[in-house]
Amino acid sequence: MAANTVEGPVAHHFNNMGQQLATVRFGMWLFLVTEVLFFGGAFCAYTAYRVWYPRDFEAGSAALNVGIASVNTFLLLTSSLTITLAIRSAYVGNRNGLMRNLLFTIALATAFLGLKAREYQIDYEEGLMPGSYTTMKPEAAKRDAELRDALQPLVPMLDAAVSEQEAIAFVPGKYPRVVRDPLAFYKFERLEHLFQKVSGRLNHAPDGFNENVVLALEEVHYKGERTDRIAPSEVAAEVDAIRALKVIPSKAELEAEAKKKHDKGEFNPSRVQLFFMFYYSMTGLHVLHMIVGLGLLTWQLIFARMGFFDHKSRYVYIEVMSLYWHFVDMAWMFLLPLLYLCGPHTSGQAVEQFQMAIGLTHSGH
Amino acid sequence: MSHSTHAVAHDQESIHHEATPNARSFVTFAVLAGMAALALFIGFSDLGAMKVVASLAVATVQACVLAYFFMDLRAADKLTWLAAVSGIFWVFLMFLFILTDFITRHLGVL
Repeated sequence: MAANTVEGPVAHHFNNMGQQLATVRFGMWLFLVTEVLFFGGAFCAYTAYRVWYPRDFEAGSAALNVGIASVNTFLLLTSSLTITLAIRSAYVGNRNGLMRNLLFTIALATAFLGLKAREYQIDYEEGLMPGSYTTMKPEAAKRDAELRDALQPLVPMLDAAVSEQEAIAFVPGKYPRVVRDPLAFYKFERLEHLFQKVSGRLNHAPDGFNENVVLALEEVHYKGERTDRIAPSEVAAEVDAIRALKVIPSKAELEAEAKKKHDKGEFNPSRVQLFFMFYYSMTGLHVLHMIVGLGLLTWQLIFARMGFFDHKSRYVYIEVMSLYWHFVDMAWMFLLPLLYLCGPHTSGQAVEQFQMAIGLTHSGH
Repeated sequence: MSHSTHAVAHDQESIHHEATPNARSFVTFAVLAGMAALALFIGFSDLGAMKVVASLAVATVQACVLAYFFMDLRAADKLTWLAAVSGIFWVFLMFLFILTDFITRHLGVL
């Protein structure tokens, strides 16, 4: 039975070469399904938070180096081409062509990773790190004293609000929670939100948030740190607004207010940090995949040199390796628009950033 | 026996399977590079809320071209297609159930 045009050794547990090749491919595809779900989880979390904090994500993205990302996009795409050419070389039994194309792919991947490393270095120097605030806005420290004054009225308000918990009612426009006095509860929520903004804590846990608010207050009030998120005058204005409340605003009013803030382009630096958490974990995961891929490519290059792929049927191992490599490229196709191009950028800026990154020009400072 | 019938079916599907000719790879690359340029053009323009939609549309088409030509779904057997479609379907389910919860919380409030 002439099962396939490709001939070579068939492992004992397969009927013929056709079945063997199909099984090898299927194994890699199954692995890729788990990879899709792996990256899918990260993209899903990203989506949830971007829907919640669109302005903050755009602000974070605007600070990234799009020049390097643009160049890297084409490097990775070209490596997808060279790996495909490598399959063809193996298929037609051209050992030198195979080695050349594998080498091109390795070179392109190495260039990508080198630029990516340079990009992380620039990000670090610019203070674009989760948990780092002072470098983002150096003037922040000066405002500590002012902010502490603005926060003073919050202390008695907090005490009063905490005692109003544990009752029964639903607050309109909010997720349901048991409260006795909806207005007091609403004021408490606004206070909690203000604390979050000041302290940078992200807390959506319905239970135990009293404790978190107290901790956040202590952190801000006693240590006077991390105060660049919100202007002291804004804190004072919000405290006055909360005090003056006589009725709970309707959902429509709250939404109109939220929209007004959104349209003004206001963002919360602590949530910009959240964007950077996504940026580092998602690009880091991608880099990790590239390093693994680079290892596999090198391994195949060594085997090619030893003549392993001179058995033509073994081109399938290059092919399944290429499936993995294409998948890494595919992940990048989504990372580019979601992380780098999410905020406002221009092509001129990209060119400038790339030149600066590779040392052709110097940045202003 | 059904086992041998199955093996023959595999053979039939594999007979036409060959490594992509270089000319086709170059064309695929040119198309993908063009779309990457388009993705950057969209990213550097000011489309407001439509930017993310346009960007993701381009990325999706790019991913499909990549999977169909470079990843050889074009010549793949049914089992491979099943794996690819299952992956997309499971991710869809994950997005559906998780986002149903998350994006309906805190609607516009605070």
